[in-house]
Amino acid sequence: MNAGGATVVDQVVFWVLAVLTTFFAGFTITRRNPVTAVMSLVATFFCLAGIYASLSAHFLAVIQVLVYAGAIMVLFIFVIMILNREEVAPFSMRPLRLLGVLGGIYLLAKLVDVVAVGLPEAAPGVAPDGFGTVAAIGEVLFRDFLFPFEAISVLLLVAIVGGVVVSRSHQKEVAAVEAADYRHQIQELAHHDYPGEPEAPAEGHH
Amino acid sequence: MPTTYYLVLSFVLFLIGTAGVLLRRNALIALMGIELQLNGGNLAMLAFSRELGDLKGHVFAFFIIALAAAEAAVGLAILVALFRGRQTVNLDEATLMKR
Repeated sequence: MNAGGATVVDQVVFWVLAVLTTFFAGFTITRRNPVTAVMSLVATFFCLAGIYASLSAHFLAVIQVLVYAGAIMVLFIFVIMILNREEVAPFSMRPLRLLGVLGGIYLLAKLVDVVAVGLPEAAPGVAPDGFGTVAAIGEVLFRDFLFPFEAISVLLLVAIVGGVVVSRSHQKEVAAVEAADYRHQIQELAHHDYPGEPEAPAEGHH
Repeated sequence: MPTTYYLVLSFVLFLIGTAGVLLRRNALIALMGIELQLNGGNLAMLAFSRELGDLKGHVFAFFIIALAAAEAAVGLAILVALFRGRQTVNLDEATLMKR
């Protein structure tokens, strides 16, 4: 494969960013310490933003940095701070999974083969003016994809509510149920075993 | 640069993400693997979008990023709930529904 039509600067930028992206992605999934993993994931996303910009997707590059390197990574860091557990054996290698790794590498080789054969070698011509800018994307987004756009906002709302409901602490409810239980027991004891006394015995109090 | 190069890079990213999801026991790292997979898909979208001169690929990549944010929020909430209930984030130990 030769990079027909691309300038030297283009090639250097692509190769540097591609190698860095791959390196940091591999670093992410092999680190034992989750904080190191998150930091290399941030580096991966920054390099990817550069690659998006080289594809003349400037709006998406900015969104990538804002949403991924900003919002999602902060979420990850918060959860790591809550959990804060070192793992003993990070990889779970079983014979079947090793077979899966080999199968995945074979599949990758096949895919690369297909793509290398099936697409024209030359770089596509210079993108038209305004390709990938906020104005151009906004026009497509709000004309052809208005309903999906609204649906995505509903999805985000559902995700917020779901996140709050799932991760909420249930201690208060458990405590309330237990207290009702104890009250019931005390009443029973007072009624049956000690009919004359208004107070329950000492073991009923907690 | 030709689109082929970008596609190969997106395959490699997706494969690394898949390996992270399948091989790591830490649920946090598995979630990071899912993010890597989504980014691999995004890169392929943008590469084809430039190849075809069509901005729809950009719109889809935008949707995927919004979806990834929602997925991260809910996934991490599930992780916190799992840790509350079982004091672990090890995926091999979360086997309550296995038998």
